[in-house]
Amino acid sequence: MQGPDVVWYLVVAALLFSIGTAGVLLRRSPLIVLLSLEIMLNSANLALISFARHHGNHDGQIFALAVMAVAASEVVVGLGLIVAIARRRLDLDVDRLRMLRG
Amino acid sequence: MIAGAWLCLLAPLAGALTITLLGQASSRRTAAWISTVSVFTAFGGAVAAFIGLLGQGHEEREVVTSAWTWLATPNFQVDLSLLVDPLSVTMMLIVSGVGGLIVLYSIGYMDGDPEERRYFAYMSLFVFSMLLLVQAGNFLLLLAGWGLVGLASYLLIGFWHERAEAVAAAKKAFVMNAFGDATMALAFFVLIWQTGTLDFQASFEGAGGLSQTAVNLVALGLLGGAVAKSAQIPLHTWLPDAMEGPTPVSALIHAATMVTAGVYLIVRAHPIFELAPSISDLAAGLGAITLLVAGLVALVQTDIKRVIAYSTMSQIGYMFLGAGLGAYGNSMFHLMTHAFFKALLFLAAGLVIHHLANEQDIRRMGGLRRVLPRTYIAFLVGSLALVGIPPLSGFFSKDSILASALASGGYGQILFVAGLVGTLLTGLYTFRLFFIVFLGEPSPLVAEHSSGHAGGHGHGEGPWTMTVPVAALTVLAVIGGWVQIAGVWHPFGEWLDPIAVGREHLALVEPSVVQDYVTSALAVGLGLLGMLIAWTLYGARTRPVPRNAALQETLEHKLWFDELYDLVFYRPAVLLTRGFRRGVEQPLIGGSISGVTLGTRGTAGAVGDAQTGYLRSYALVIALGVAVLVVVFITVQ
Repeated sequence: MQGPDVVWYLVVAALLFSIGTAGVLLRRSPLIVLLSLEIMLNSANLALISFARHHGNHDGQIFALAVMAVAASEVVVGLGLIVAIARRRLDLDVDRLRMLRG
Repeated sequence: MIAGAWLCLLAPLAGALTITLLGQASSRRTAAWISTVSVFTAFGGAVAAFIGLLGQGHEEREVVTSAWTWLATPNFQVDLSLLVDPLSVTMMLIVSGVGGLIVLYSIGYMDGDPEERRYFAYMSLFVFSMLLLVQAGNFLLLLAGWGLVGLASYLLIGFWHERAEAVAAAKKAFVMNAFGDATMALAFFVLIWQTGTLDFQASFEGAGGLSQTAVNLVALGLLGGAVAKSAQIPLHTWLPDAMEGPTPVSALIHAATMVTAGVYLIVRAHPIFELAPSISDLAAGLGAITLLVAGLVALVQTDIKRVIAYSTMSQIGYMFLGAGLGAYGNSMFHLMTHAFFKALLFLAAGLVIHHLANEQDIRRMGGLRRVLPRTYIAFLVGSLALVGIPPLSGFFSKDSILASALASGGYGQILFVAGLVGTLLTGLYTFRLFFIVFLGEPSPLVAEHSSGHAGGHGHGEGPWTMTVPVAALTVLAVIGGWVQIAGVWHPFGEWLDPIAVGREHLALVEPSVVQDYVTSALAVGLGLLGMLIAWTLYGARTRPVPRNAALQETLEHKLWFDELYDLVFYRPAVLLTRGFRRGVEQPLIGGSISGVTLGTRGTAGAVGDAQTGYLRSYALVIALGVAVLVVVFITVQ
C-alpha cells in the first residue's frame, strides 16, 4: 500500500509553516499569534513524521512527541499570560505591549 | 642592659597605644599620667643600659641586639636590631630624661585643652620615634625613626588644627623634612648598591673601599637629611614657623631632641664623613653660616618663642661646626647641655605665656620680674648658660667646640672667628629678650594678668607639674657642664671615646690647654660685651636702639629666605602645574575619558533603537536569522 510521495507531505508542512509564520508576523491578537505558533509547531511535526516514514525508523516520531509536550507547556504559559493581561484590563494587542522599546 | 634598651624603646610606644586604645574610657588626667609614666619608664631603661655599659670594659662597650630579621633577600639583609653604645646611651638618657620632664610639664600646660588625650598620645609616639632613631642598629631602622619623628613633629606642630597658621607651619615642616628624608634615602641606595649592606659597622668598613665620588654622594645625602632635620641653612625656614605648636612641643621636639638628630647622624656616621673631607667642611661651613644668620635674625624678632627658636638654630650651628671639623665628643657635649638650657628657656617662656594667657609678643610684655620671681631666676640661668658664662653648662660645651675649631687649621680658624662673632650675637639677642620681658615697669598686659592671678588662683607661677620640671632643668643647666672641664678632667670625652675617635683610633682634633683658655677668655668676653650692649639698649635704655630701615626690614624678613623659595620653587611649580593642567590634563586625560563616555552613549543609543518593542519585529528577525543559518548550512555542505 503505497501512499503519496514524501515530497507532498513536505509541501503541505511547508505550506502550514508559512501560514503559521504569516499569522505570527501579521496578526495583532495574542490569541491568534499563539494559534499560529501551534500551526508552525504542528507543521514541523508533520515534517518530522514524514521523514520518519521515509527513513523507516522511529526517531522522528519520538521527536514529534517531544515537540507536542513543549507545545502543550508553551500554550499553558502563553494562555496564562493572556489571561493575566486581560485581568489587568489591558488591550489584547501585541503592538501595544511594547514597553521593551530601547 | 639589653632588657633596659628594649624597655626604653617600647615603654613610650606602649604608652601611646594605651592612650589611643583607651580613648574616651580614660580621663584626661589619666592619659597625661600614662604618657608621663611611660617616658619616665623609658628613662629608667636608659639608666639601666647606662649602668650596664659602665660595667663593661672600655673596648666592649658596643652591644648589638637583634629581635628578628626584618627584611631578607639572598644578598641583602636588615635586622630589627638595637645598638647600645656610649653614643646611643647618651642620646637615650637625654631624650627620655628631658622628655620625661617636659611631658610632666605638659600636664599643667595643656590642662583644660579639649584634646589633651591626643596630645599625650602624640608626645609618647614622638619619644618612641626619637628613641628608635637613636637606638637603631642599622641605617634603615634609623630612617624609620627619622621619618616617624618627622610625622610626630608634623602632628604636634599642627596640634591646634583649627588655626590656619599652625596647619601651614606643620605642612612646611613636613615638606622641608621630606626633602631631607629623600636625600638620605638616596644615600642609602648608593650604600646598598656599592657595599650591599646598611649595617653601621659593615657599611663603614665597606665605605673604605669605595670611589671618592660614591663616598661623597653618600655623605652629601646624609648631610642633606641632617641639615633638613636640624634646621640649618638652606633648609631652615620651617623651624621658626614650627613655634605655632604648643610650647612644651617646642621645648621637646624643636629644641632639645629632634632638631639635634642631624648632629647625632653626623656623629654616628662619622667614618663616612671622614672619608669625604669636603662634605665635612661643607657641614662645618653651613653650621657657621647658620649660627651667624640665625643670631642676626634673632635680634629683631618680636615673638618670644621665635627668638628662642632662632637661638636654637644658632646653637645647632655650633654643633654642626664642631661635628664637621671632627670634634664629635664636643658636639655631643654641647648637644647635651643645649638640651638642658634650651628646654629650660622654652619651659620658662611657657610659664610666661601661660601666665599671660597665650600672649607671645614681647612688645606687650615687661616687668615680669616682680610678678614671676622664680621664672625670672630660671630664665636668667638659662640665658646665662646659653651665652656661655662660667660656671654654667653652656660655657664648657660651647668653648670646647670653639677651641677645637681654633685647633684645626686655617679653615677652622675662619669658622672660629664666625663662632666668636656668634657669641657676641648670642649675648645680645638673649639679653635683649631677657631685659624686655623681665625688667622695667610692668606693661599694661602684665599688670592686668597679675592682679587677676594674685587674688583668684593663688597658684603663684604655675601648678607644681610645671614648676618642678623647670626647677630640675635649672639645676641641670647649671651643673650639666661640669662633666667635662677643659684641661682638668674629661669623663664625658672618655665615655664617648669609642665613637668619637677617627678611623685610625686617634682623636681628630685635640686643642691644647692654651688654646682652650684663650678661646674661653675671648668667648666669655664677647658674650659679656653682647650682654653689656643689650643692657645699654634695652635694660638701662641710656642709648636709643640704632635703626636702619633697610637692615631692619631685611632681618625682619629673615633675609628673604621665604620670599626666595617662593619665587624659585613655589611659583615655577605652580606655573608648571597650571601648564600641565591646560596642556595635558584637560585635553588628553579629561578628553579621553569624556570621549569614552560619549562613544559608549552613542553606541548604546544606536543599539537601543533596534529594540522597537514590537513582537513582530523580533519574530521577523528570528525568522530571518534562521533562514540565513539554513542557507549557510546548505551552501557550506
